[in-house]
Amino acid sequence: MRITVRALLAAVFVATFAALAAGCGGGNGAGGDGGGVIDQVITINWGTEPPSLDPGLATDTTSSDVLLNIMDPLVKLGDNLEPVPNLAESWDVTNGGKTVTFHLRNDGKWTNGDPVTAKDYEWSWKRTISPDLAADYAYQFFGIVGAEDYNSCKSGCAAMRDKVGIKATDDHTLRVELTSPQPWFVQQVAHTSFLAVNRATVEKFGNKWTEPGNIVTNGPFELATWRHNAELDLKKWDAWRNADEVKLKRINGRMISEGTTAVQAFEAGELDMTAGLPPEELSRLKGTDSYSQYPGLGTYYYGLNVKAIPDVNQRRAMSLAIDRRTIIDNIAQADQLPPTGFTPKGMPGFDELNPSSPWTPENGDLDKAKELMAKVANPNKNVNLVINDSPGHREIAVAIQSMWKELGINTTIRQQEWAQFLESLGPPPDPSVDAYRLGWIGDYVDAMNFLELWTCKSGNNNSNYCDPQYDALVAKARQTPDNDARYKIYGELEDKLLGENGAVPIAPIYWYTYVQLERPSIKASLNVNLLSQTDYTKVVEVEPS
Amino acid sequence: MTRLIVRRVLWTIPVILLVILMTFLLMRQIEGNPFRTSERAIPASIQANLEAKFGLDDPWWKQYVRYVKGVATFDLGPSLVLRNRDVNDIVREHFPPSLELGALAMLFALVFGIPLGLLAALRANKWPDYTAMFVANVGFAVPSFLIATLLIYFFAVRWGDIFDIPTSGWTTWQSKILPTIALGLGPMAYFARLTRGSVLETLQQDYIRTARAKGLRRRRVVVVHTLRNSLIPVVTAAGPILGFLITGSFVIEQIFAIPGIGRYYVTAVTGRDYSVVMGLTVLLAMIVIVANMVVDILYGILDPRTREAR
Amino acid sequence: MSSTSSGERTQFPGLRRLKERRYLRLPTPPPPTPTASGDAGAPIRSSSLWRDAWYRYLRNRAAVIAGIAFLALLAYCVIWPIVSPYDPNQVDFSQANDSPSLAHPLGTDQFGRDLFTRTALGGRVSIGIGFAATLVILAIGVTYGAIAGFLGGFVDNALMRFLDALYGLPYLPFAIIILAIFGGGSFWTMVIALSIASWFTTARIVRGQIITLKENDYVRAAHAVGARWLRILARHLLPNTLGVLVIAVFLELPGVILGEAFLSFIGLGISPPDASWGSMAQDGYRAYRVAPHIIIVPSIAIAWLILCANFIADGLRDALDPRTRET
Repeated sequence: MRITVRALLAAVFVATFAALAAGCGGGNGAGGDGGGVIDQVITINWGTEPPSLDPGLATDTTSSDVLLNIMDPLVKLGDNLEPVPNLAESWDVTNGGKTVTFHLRNDGKWTNGDPVTAKDYEWSWKRTISPDLAADYAYQFFGIVGAEDYNSCKSGCAAMRDKVGIKATDDHTLRVELTSPQPWFVQQVAHTSFLAVNRATVEKFGNKWTEPGNIVTNGPFELATWRHNAELDLKKWDAWRNADEVKLKRINGRMISEGTTAVQAFEAGELDMTAGLPPEELSRLKGTDSYSQYPGLGTYYYGLNVKAIPDVNQRRAMSLAIDRRTIIDNIAQADQLPPTGFTPKGMPGFDELNPSSPWTPENGDLDKAKELMAKVANPNKNVNLVINDSPGHREIAVAIQSMWKELGINTTIRQQEWAQFLESLGPPPDPSVDAYRLGWIGDYVDAMNFLELWTCKSGNNNSNYCDPQYDALVAKARQTPDNDARYKIYGELEDKLLGENGAVPIAPIYWYTYVQLERPSIKASLNVNLLSQTDYTKVVEVEPS
Repeated sequence: MTRLIVRRVLWTIPVILLVILMTFLLMRQIEGNPFRTSERAIPASIQANLEAKFGLDDPWWKQYVRYVKGVATFDLGPSLVLRNRDVNDIVREHFPPSLELGALAMLFALVFGIPLGLLAALRANKWPDYTAMFVANVGFAVPSFLIATLLIYFFAVRWGDIFDIPTSGWTTWQSKILPTIALGLGPMAYFARLTRGSVLETLQQDYIRTARAKGLRRRRVVVVHTLRNSLIPVVTAAGPILGFLITGSFVIEQIFAIPGIGRYYVTAVTGRDYSVVMGLTVLLAMIVIVANMVVDILYGILDPRTREAR
Repeated sequence: MSSTSSGERTQFPGLRRLKERRYLRLPTPPPPTPTASGDAGAPIRSSSLWRDAWYRYLRNRAAVIAGIAFLALLAYCVIWPIVSPYDPNQVDFSQANDSPSLAHPLGTDQFGRDLFTRTALGGRVSIGIGFAATLVILAIGVTYGAIAGFLGGFVDNALMRFLDALYGLPYLPFAIIILAIFGGGSFWTMVIALSIASWFTTARIVRGQIITLKENDYVRAAHAVGARWLRILARHLLPNTLGVLVIAVFLELPGVILGEAFLSFIGLGISPPDASWGSMAQDGYRAYRVAPHIIIVPSIAIAWLILCANFIADGLRDALDPRTRET
């Protein structure tokens, strides 16, 4: 009997190993030379599948990461986020700041051989604004004359389209008419929404023009492989106008969304770079040579519903009670900066702006907070804190919950899925939301991007905060092209929010940093800028010293 | 017999329509805007454009009818969130890995589970039984996310040099080992218990006693008579379990970064991508219903005792 | 057993038939137990089905151990948080991520909260959800199955076809949709989400039982004597189904617990600071390289519960079915 059973089992095991060894279909390995060899082929992690590689439709950072490397923007951002000529070799700002004229280089090319002309840009931008494409980011163009009207037109759209202030006066000149002087406009053009698409390709393939095999690009890298949700590889495009400058031959990209798995892949030698790191692993990884940290341009904050917590002293107390240093050191763990205001450090004009809020002390000030709470006549003792369910937010919420407990406030944490969370926030926020967690990352590099959030009608004002004087100051800033003068106004706006007499509709928690693991061979040349973009034309693999 | 088959087939149509209707109505109940993916609110005019483009501004019954027409022509519509892809494309590209993962996990479960169950039954209520069942049960009881985590840590990272197994992905045959084990341990335990129970039952049958009484050797009795007869319930259960492995392994797919349908499903529900959710639900439901129907018919043919009384 | 380790439910006819066959073998009139041989002359002890089953259960060592372990776990979850010296929600970063030690038998989590206490509390939630969902499943399943079985004919047919449609909805994704509708994060929404898609098998089984039992002689006899259907239901049918239902509780429990663990793992579970074992595992997953015990502890707790439930279910099934004999 035993022999039978054992023989049976043995036979089974042998059969299994044989089957496995024979392989269930070869399949090609997904690149990954795992860091040993210096061959200018690297493997990175995009994180998730880019929802769309159509510049008109891309709204997320992954698509943007890919697009900025396969396309050629008119303008790029330098080290201090100042606009640097790229495909546009120069530009003129005239007419009091209301007209911007870009002069394009004449050596731009598409991968299908067509030359890149200003007409491509005119067509592409108008396409993004058009109501048929229904682009989420069409609003980025609303500073251009006629754009908003065209976007919301229901009839007579062809005429509206012609009225939009984007004109290719010749093959290499693009003239843009703005509704008001916008000093940040040229920097804004570095955003993915302002990239051009190849008209012939889009017209031929319609919705499917971004599929590998159809897609036509004009940047330093071209799309080599794209297996959806699995792998997206780029290879150097030798016919690019500046191809000599590009050292990398190929970038193999995985799509590992689970941070822990990505770290393990890095440690097993399969990745040369991770995209971000789970906060829990930071304590272990921080000292290693592969760890790399970059400042970011964003603020992580807790918003306070001004209608639900009407007494400004309570809001101030709640902000004071938060021990930001503890949160940064123990939970976020990526050396984020404790904030002194809403606009983050690194923003041009930060020094002039000089936000210095008394309500966001680094270590919290529990005594003062309790004093202020005592002054509150009818405190809201049961606060509903709404957060979304991504990793990291729960921990911070739990910590803050215990900090607010010291003030006698019972916080109920309601964790919601992303889409539901966004619905609760509105605006206007659902009445049950007393506090919420949010982060704002800069779209373009001017403090206006942060401060305009708190105008009464802003689509991102989730705190029910409305101050007509604030709105007036914002309008004034919009009409002030002179940087210094404008930064002064920004300072006043920060004061209104978080200054000594500020309304404190929000409690900033930290200013973002970006962390990732990088193989020593690429660490020296790899850089992630303040908007978390990586320019792979600058990356080169070297022998680690 | 033919009448039975035809009737069952015909019944699947209203069933599928009902499934579509239920999913449709359920999705409508969830609050959330499929077009708003980031904190940045969408201006009202753009929201209006998007809704018009995807026909979301029509009354719900109109959308339902349009959708059903689409299903009838095998067109599951465009994705609301992934603007350059259709649901058909998504299914075509991502269904095969899930299918493959499910099939491999099933193979693993059968190949290891059945012998384990057999061993346990032949030594019932003695230590080999208890140990085998304990081992099998651990595979079932310990949640697969922990098993997956441990497997990745030990085999791909710690002993990565010895084994050459990647931590994630679904490409080479080495990358398929860990996910298969992580997903297959549970069904393996299930089959082990099932086999054990079934073998024990069969062993008490009179014909086994007869065979023993006739003087047949134990080995022959076990292999020829017992095992063959005990495997019927296992084989019947295998079908449905395969259905599950395919339709719901998203945690494993998430952890191992496998581009399968499960991962898409969760992403689509959380992103409120109505058309993808509908499309995948309809697809999965059809698989389940058709499998159901086939098994019902087969069972009716194989085992007349269990034909439903009508 | 009704679940796989990915938390999926088995809802297929082949499987149903299998389970039904097992259940249908419950004897209806209880036979008297003969006394052991060698007791010649001793009075015949009359014994009920339940007492027999109890003795048979006790002879099954694995089931007994499982039963004790299960009760021990329950006792721990109920009693320990009351007597624990630690506040389960006290955040203390200086003690974060500590490995198990004398002061903290199961270590601490990333906030410095004692895991021994939190696991007990998490157990209350997880086991609570498990039993609540199971009871809801039974309630809906029994009602649906009883109506279908009892009324028979067209109503039965329609109800069963509707059930077929419901079977078509994939379980975990469906639970996710339900959670999204009600907004995840609370005890009762989890219970609803987990039970809504799991009662189908119970309904079928109960229906099968009712149909079979309806045809039984003693039921016909009762009916002939003039007993009302309600009385028959209450006095004859249900008590016999009770055995099946008790087993069903312990069979459904693992599936529900795993379902809860999986839903929590993808982030749809209980809101903090309350915890369930699944949400603790989710917290621990990302930290497992730094502090592996944070994910291992709740996973072992889940495994413990499931193992116990399985062995108890097996033991009950063997105990209530006198035709199973050991080789």
